[in-house]
Amino acid sequence: MADEITADFEKAYPAGPTIHGVLRVPLGRPHVTVLFGPSGSGKTTVLRCLAGLERPTRGRIMFGTETWFDANTGKTASPQSRSIGYLFQDYALFPHLTVADNIAYALKGMSHAERVAQMHLLIRLLQLEGLEARRPGQLSGGQQQRVALARVLARRPRLLLLDEPLSALDAPTREQVRGELRGLLRNQGAPAICVTHDWVEALTLADEVAVIAVGRVLQVGSPDEVFSRPANAEVAAIVGVETVVTGHIAQRTQGLAALDVGSARLWAIEETGRGEEFYLCIRAEDVTIEMGAPPSSSARNHLPGSVLDVRSAGPVSRVTINCGFPLTASITRQAAQDLGLKPGIPVTATVKASAIHLIPR
Amino acid sequence: MNWQAIVLTLELAGLTALILLAVGIPIAYWLTNSRWRWKFLVESVVALPLVLPPTVLGFYVLVAMSPTSILGRWYQAMVGHPLAFTFEGLVVASVLYSLPFAVQPFTSAFGAVDRRLVEASWTLGVAPIATFFRITLPLSVAGVVTGVVLSFAHTLGEFGVVLMIGGNIPGVTRTVSIDIYDEVQAMNYDGAGQTALVLLAFSFFVLSVVYAVNRNVWAAWPMK
Repeated sequence: MADEITADFEKAYPAGPTIHGVLRVPLGRPHVTVLFGPSGSGKTTVLRCLAGLERPTRGRIMFGTETWFDANTGKTASPQSRSIGYLFQDYALFPHLTVADNIAYALKGMSHAERVAQMHLLIRLLQLEGLEARRPGQLSGGQQQRVALARVLARRPRLLLLDEPLSALDAPTREQVRGELRGLLRNQGAPAICVTHDWVEALTLADEVAVIAVGRVLQVGSPDEVFSRPANAEVAAIVGVETVVTGHIAQRTQGLAALDVGSARLWAIEETGRGEEFYLCIRAEDVTIEMGAPPSSSARNHLPGSVLDVRSAGPVSRVTINCGFPLTASITRQAAQDLGLKPGIPVTATVKASAIHLIPR
Repeated sequence: MNWQAIVLTLELAGLTALILLAVGIPIAYWLTNSRWRWKFLVESVVALPLVLPPTVLGFYVLVAMSPTSILGRWYQAMVGHPLAFTFEGLVVASVLYSLPFAVQPFTSAFGAVDRRLVEASWTLGVAPIATFFRITLPLSVAGVVTGVVLSFAHTLGEFGVVLMIGGNIPGVTRTVSIDIYDEVQAMNYDGAGQTALVLLAFSFFVLSVVYAVNRNVWAAWPMK
């Protein structure tokens, strides 16, 4: 397989955990792989090994037919020779250089005309007009992030590595930049590997999600697969959102949107008025279960269906309901017993519109 | 006031500071980046002049320079006269004596530069040495200035080493501090006082500049 990155390596720390990175990433087309996991799970170490900033203890990293690292032969390609772009968590902009010089930093080999053309392209692409002469200290967080991206993209990297690209931003800026970043990653030619502990970020950016915990890759798959069908309890606990399904906008009224999901229709809050395809994310604790006909209540979504599965762990029961799509509810074990829930019996699941989190696809 | 001694001293201090700039930066670069387990030995050697009596340092340098030593013989064969009791000899001794005053501020400054900036430069395809000149050095200007000025000021005031290596040859090795000593020995307190005042004023000025540039002058080796 020449056209993919194959990595299988271990990085052992003398007084810490061993990080085991296993990845396959297709090359030559935009494809975003998100390494998703809690802090301390070794995501950044995996990224640093791929960048050549950290040397694995064992294993092999191949970029197509190029060997980046091979513990058996002792070969390590320098970070310089890998032609990658690495976006640092707090951007690592050079404080003594202007925005323009930061972006042009890696363009030394180019002719003057080529360099100027590339600069203008990036400044326009990332909306940095008018900031060229400023220094990083005089920029807002969102602007710094864009400068860092421009600097990384300037050299036309073969692979983009992003370490928590949005975590240094305040919440409102993060909302806005997240969408921009997704567009950018889809439109530029190289594949990207992005590290995050934020599930909204993971769902927004990912074509593929790899869940990592305590130094191991636990599950790899498409975003809805990983989030809705976690391979085991560990993954389920990490992702924290029990139901992720894809929906298509059917109508919009007054900040609300109706989405068709499978054979069901759900109402959710959607104020941007843009986009057709969404991920609907529903936490199990936001779903209530009623028997019989739906009562009138403030909740917008009453979904008739039948129980697929009941699983109890301690005082909590997890109930999966088929209501046109599989929906997971989390209720007390006592409630599950009182309602006599078992597979096959008809119920109505209730979800408030405000409890459905929409993420554009 | 002995202007000849003052000019000679300024020449000596200036030359020493320049040489330390050239020699100290590579040493500090190595000390900042090396992961060699015996690195502390090199650190100790560099810092030795801080604690060693100048006469001890001067004695060893004098022995090393003597025509009977390998180094002294080699120098004499190259240049034609021995190194001891010459201006060049004084420069060599001063460079050794002021080494920690240049290398320690350099190392502190290099070590204080955010590691991720260096890594960012590497991932942008820029080689380590080029990264040093484009990132680390420009961000360490305050520390480099401090090191140069401190080694200059320290050389101005050296006495023991000069006496051991240079002797007391007017216009060749008689520096300000030796001159003041001579004046006092000759009971010429006015002459000594004037020269001393010049040195005091100058040293105060230099240190003011250093502290204005950098508040962390006497920082120890950077923590690693």
